Amino acid sequence: MSSWLDYTINGLIVGNVYALVAVGLALIFGVSRLINFAQGSIYLVGAYIGWVAVVQLHTPLPLTIIVVAVAAAIVGLIIERFGLRPLQNSVRIAPLLATIGISFVLDQLVMLTFSPNPRALPSQLPDVRFQVGGGTIGPLDLLIAGVGLTSALLLFVFLRYSKLGWAVRATAQDRDAAMQMGVDVNRVNQAVFGIAAALGGVSGMLVGMYYNQIDTAMSLQATLKGVVAEVVGGAGNVPGAVIGSLLLGLVESYGVAVFGTSYRNLFAFLLLVVVLVLRPNGLFASARQAPPEPLTGTFIAPSRPVRIPRWALLAAAVIFAILPLFPVSFYVLQTLINAWLLGMLALSLTLVAGTIGQVSLGHAALLAIGAYTSALLSLTLNVPVGLAIIGGGLMSAALGTLLISPSFRLRGHYVSIATLAIGEIVSLVILNWESVTRGPIGISGIPPLSLFGTDLISPTSIYWFSLAVMVVLALLQGRLLTSHLGRSFRAIRDDDIAARAYGLSLNRYKSLAFIFGGFAAGVSGGIAAHLYSYINHETFNTQQSILALTVVILGGLGNVVGAMLGAVALVGLPEVFRIAAEYRILIYGIVLLLLVRFRPQGLLGTI
Amino acid sequence: MSNIDRRNLVKGSLAAMMAGAAFSRGAFAQSSEPILLGVSGPLTGPNAQYGTQWKQGFDLALDEIMAAGGINGRKLAYQFEDSQSDPRQSVAIAQKFVSDPRIVMELGDFSSPASMAASPIYQRGGLVQFGFTNSHPDFTKGGDFMWSTSVSQADEQPLLAAYAVKRLGLKKLAVLHLNTDWGRTSRDYFTNAAKEYGAEIVVTEGYIAEERDFRSTLVRVRDANPDGLILISYYSDGALIARQARQVGLKQAICAASSVYSPKFIELGGEAVEDVHVGTRYFPEDTRPEVQKFIAGFKKKYNGQEPDAFNAYSYDAMNMAAAVVKIGGTDRKAIRDAFTKVKDVPSVIFGAATFDVATRRVKGAMNAELVVRKGQFALWDGKPT
Repeated sequence: MSSWLDYTINGLIVGNVYALVAVGLALIFGVSRLINFAQGSIYLVGAYIGWVAVVQLHTPLPLTIIVVAVAAAIVGLIIERFGLRPLQNSVRIAPLLATIGISFVLDQLVMLTFSPNPRALPSQLPDVRFQVGGGTIGPLDLLIAGVGLTSALLLFVFLRYSKLGWAVRATAQDRDAAMQMGVDVNRVNQAVFGIAAALGGVSGMLVGMYYNQIDTAMSLQATLKGVVAEVVGGAGNVPGAVIGSLLLGLVESYGVAVFGTSYRNLFAFLLLVVVLVLRPNGLFASARQAPPEPLTGTFIAPSRPVRIPRWALLAAAVIFAILPLFPVSFYVLQTLINAWLLGMLALSLTLVAGTIGQVSLGHAALLAIGAYTSALLSLTLNVPVGLAIIGGGLMSAALGTLLISPSFRLRGHYVSIATLAIGEIVSLVILNWESVTRGPIGISGIPPLSLFGTDLISPTSIYWFSLAVMVVLALLQGRLLTSHLGRSFRAIRDDDIAARAYGLSLNRYKSLAFIFGGFAAGVSGGIAAHLYSYINHETFNTQQSILALTVVILGGLGNVVGAMLGAVALVGLPEVFRIAAEYRILIYGIVLLLLVRFRPQGLLGTI
Repeated sequence: MSNIDRRNLVKGSLAAMMAGAAFSRGAFAQSSEPILLGVSGPLTGPNAQYGTQWKQGFDLALDEIMAAGGINGRKLAYQFEDSQSDPRQSVAIAQKFVSDPRIVMELGDFSSPASMAASPIYQRGGLVQFGFTNSHPDFTKGGDFMWSTSVSQADEQPLLAAYAVKRLGLKKLAVLHLNTDWGRTSRDYFTNAAKEYGAEIVVTEGYIAEERDFRSTLVRVRDANPDGLILISYYSDGALIARQARQVGLKQAICAASSVYSPKFIELGGEAVEDVHVGTRYFPEDTRPEVQKFIAGFKKKYNGQEPDAFNAYSYDAMNMAAAVVKIGGTDRKAIRDAFTKVKDVPSVIFGAATFDVATRRVKGAMNAELVVRKGQFALWDGKPT
């Protein structure tokens, strides 16, 4: 029985660590209704500044904390001023994408400055341990708990009793009204970003000391866990974020206790989905609180799409179709094959995210379902590859829609977070369901693509095959968008209450969109499986989902041609920048930021 | 410029960088062309640290190869393409290398999904894919152009099991392993060997690579009441587990796989890794000449930095590549055939490496039983800890 005490204590200790990130995220969300994907990067920057202070400058702990807090706050202010403020009048999804771009750039800068090797960040506290239950806790545990609780408390008092705090809350409630009342909204935003960044930086440093280890990969994990904790506690609710974090830590710890270590994150993400479905405003939202998401479609603003004449599209299709007849290197063809595969995924995502407004951050799961289904069908049941890929598409449509259906009642950011969690759950199920998926060993020896008994193994034939599949899917989707179904989808996106009042069944239409989108994504995954011949749980990861969303936003939400154009651009750019070696992802991030800055509605605009 | 490592060219502005690259290409055309190897591996992304370690080993080996007169008088160089260990990028790189006539063979990639996704392209394109960290049992089954010097886990894990069970006398083992294809395969070989030697596996726990907190896992381990912990880990997660094991009050012996063998393991683990046992393939005081040459050369080139396991793998791989190219010349098929002919190539990991033509792997890795004493890896003196 004493083990349960240990599991509880361990859960609280980890929850403590999550709380530091979650509080900063909650603060920013509270004011700007923005999930700051760059918070993990500020955390990373803080850890490395802490390393410089401790190891190079030998500062004592209080001074280290101040140095890190100030430096991180400055980074936060720069992000706010140059990354986000220029976007404040554009679509709400633009800042979300901007934070993703900023996190790319920050992570890369840290990696280039400090090399990707992990470093030790020694704790500056005396090494005394107190016996609690079967284990021990140290002074750093207490300090982390102290920083988490104190900052949450201070923020709570600040928001409730100080004048700037009122301004922050007023801005959070209604930005325009606050401005009319004379609140300097920009100053409020600045204050919030400064505070949140300082907190993020200090937490990165403390967690680095806690594990005596910092590395450049810590950023994404911190963001993921922080977002889960924050949403569980109620987005924008600072004390809720602390309690959400502790709860998350406990659920993970008990999950490990009952089922074993490899199930740990499964429980974290299941907790998130359950909370979102049952109490979408978080566990601690009061009943009379206004929904934190706007009722109508300001998340995705309409814009005037760029009209591309039919002859130009036809000409582009013909040029790409006859491209292999010219002396083009296989490398170019392979890169374009990747673009067509990503294009299919983007078609799928642009339909569900752009046309019907369900911005999914877990789309790689649909790829994985399609890929595994197709691979297993052809390997174990000897189904011909062409049919197996269609089977993968169908399975992805059916299973994907079923899995995502709990998120149908959510709006805006919450859909993104729920789908992010569902994507992670699918990946963890693939890892753990060994009897079917072969777990971490993965599936090797997947037969190559073939059609009517002929193997497609030359890059030229694979190129034509994937291009043809993508074009057919695009034509179908174009037809869909001009039909009454497409109009209903957009009506739901633009104003779901009006759409419902008009008699549209939201769930049915959302399901239809996911069935169509799931099929396209599943086919893409299926083709990829046969192309690679080997897949495992890491082949289709969260980065793929984020990349797909970037493609869709870049091309213009809901825009079929834009999705394909965006895919070519985002597959092509990193290849073009190869000349820059380690710098290429940095350049890619900067290009992405500039695109969001100057073309937030996407290259071709929302349809 | 000793090789086409473009990183050296990237200095200053983008414009200067482009100009630099263009210039260096021009320069190669004039001088006698180097024999070019393609490397596909991570320089950015979550595995970037391993790509940078590869480069250190490659560069050291190339320096030595050049000093010894190159490949029959010609230069050897590599072109490193960043794949981020992402299969989508490694397949594009594979096509790039296959269609570039200057590339005579390829080294890498790092992770199994990235490497094995590219295998069909190398196989069909007739370019050797020399995967020197690819322990996945199916890697060399991709075709006769897939060769690997990665230590087979079927070889390595029984050695670790012998160290833990026969030499240290541990009888009830808790196995913690990275839940990847490598960790999983290793765990299976380890448990089989340990059981054969008469030990009991009381608990196994697989964890994902991003995991940082192991306290709850270690409570499970404690409740299983083992007398030793086996870590099938890399150095960063291995150090985390060792630290937290001591913090939750586990005092049992810890025995780790060779992949933790790195000065970083001691730096990150601090006092907690004191007395940790590590089965490795070489050790600093090893009197073998290839080991002494490697360690001394490495320290000299990299300001006294100690080499680690991944440095050794890439150093060995470049030396093997040189030996193969010496026999096979620049013809891609001849290079594949040369893999069957090379004999007893001096190697840090294998002593003398010769491929088993049936499996296209090298057997018989060296074995050293080390223990961390006073913050240093030292040969185990036989004393229990």
